[in-house]
Amino acid sequence: MLTLVIGGAASGKSEYAERLVLHAGDGPRVYIATMEPFDEESLQRIEKHRRMRAGKGFQTLECYTDLASAQVPSGSTVLLECVSNLCANEVFSPAGSGDAAAQSILRGVEHLQRQCGELIVVSNDLASGGSLYEGDTLRYLEILGTVNQELAALADDVCEVVCGLPCWHKGGTRFADFS
Amino acid sequence: MTFIVGPLFSGKRRVAMELLGCGEEALARRAVWDVQELAAARSDLEALAAELAAHEVVIATEVGGGVVPADPAQRMAREAAGRLNCLLAERADRVIRVFCGLPTVLKGAL
Repeated sequence: MLTLVIGGAASGKSEYAERLVLHAGDGPRVYIATMEPFDEESLQRIEKHRRMRAGKGFQTLECYTDLASAQVPSGSTVLLECVSNLCANEVFSPAGSGDAAAQSILRGVEHLQRQCGELIVVSNDLASGGSLYEGDTLRYLEILGTVNQELAALADDVCEVVCGLPCWHKGGTRFADFS
Repeated sequence: MTFIVGPLFSGKRRVAMELLGCGEEALARRAVWDVQELAAARSDLEALAAELAAHEVVIATEVGGGVVPADPAQRMAREAAGRLNCLLAERADRVIRVFCGLPTVLKGAL
C-alpha cells in the first residue's frame, strides 16, 4: 500500500507520517533519508529528525538520488522523507537526472513498492505560496508538481497535514481509528 | 460554468479534461485558464467575471498564499486575482479545488 503525506513547512507532516508507520505494524522499519548534509542548518535538521525517530525501530538508509537503486527488506514498512528534497537533488545535483527527475523518482517509488509492504511517502506543498517565481525555481516547482500529482494518483491514501491534523484527499479510512 | 482553482502545477487542467472528457485541443475551446493574470488589467471585475463565465470551465491558480508582495503592482494584481476568484465562485454551478491532481468539490456536485 502507498500513502502520500503532504503539507507545508513545519505542518507536522513528518510526525504524522511516523505515526502512520507505527500504525502499519511491527515489521522491519526503514527510513529513507534524502537530505544531503551540506551545511550546519541541514545537519541540525537531520539531527532533529533523528531524535524524533529514536526508539521507533527505524533502520536509516541514505538516498540522495537514484531511488530505484535503494534496497529494502521484503515486507518492510518504509518511510521516504522527503520527495521535495529528493526532487531538488535530482534536478540540481550533478549526480541527479536533471530533466528526467520526475521519471526517476516515480520509477524509484514503484521499485520500492514492489519490495516493501507499506510505503509512506512524505512530500512538501511548495506551490501554495503564490506564483511569483521564475527560472530554475519555477522549473523545479513544475517538476515537483508533476511528481506530487503522479504520486497522488498512484497512492491508496493521500493526506494533507494541517497543523499536525490529517485532511484526507483520497482514502484514509484504514487509518480512521487513530486519526 | 465550472470553476476550478488550486495551487501552481496542481493538475487543474488535467482535472478539467477528465471532467469534460476531452483532450488539450478541445479544452482550449471549452475552457479558459490562468485567469488570475487577467484581473490586474481590468477595473471592472464584475464584467470580467461575467465574460469568463460564458466558458464551460474557468481555471485559476490560487495566488493569495505567501507573503504580501512588496511591489505595489504585484500586490494589486494579487488582490484583483483573489477578488475575481470570489466573483467566479459565486457565478459557478460548481467549484472544484484541485490539490495534487485530486479534486475536492467546494460547491455543487461532480
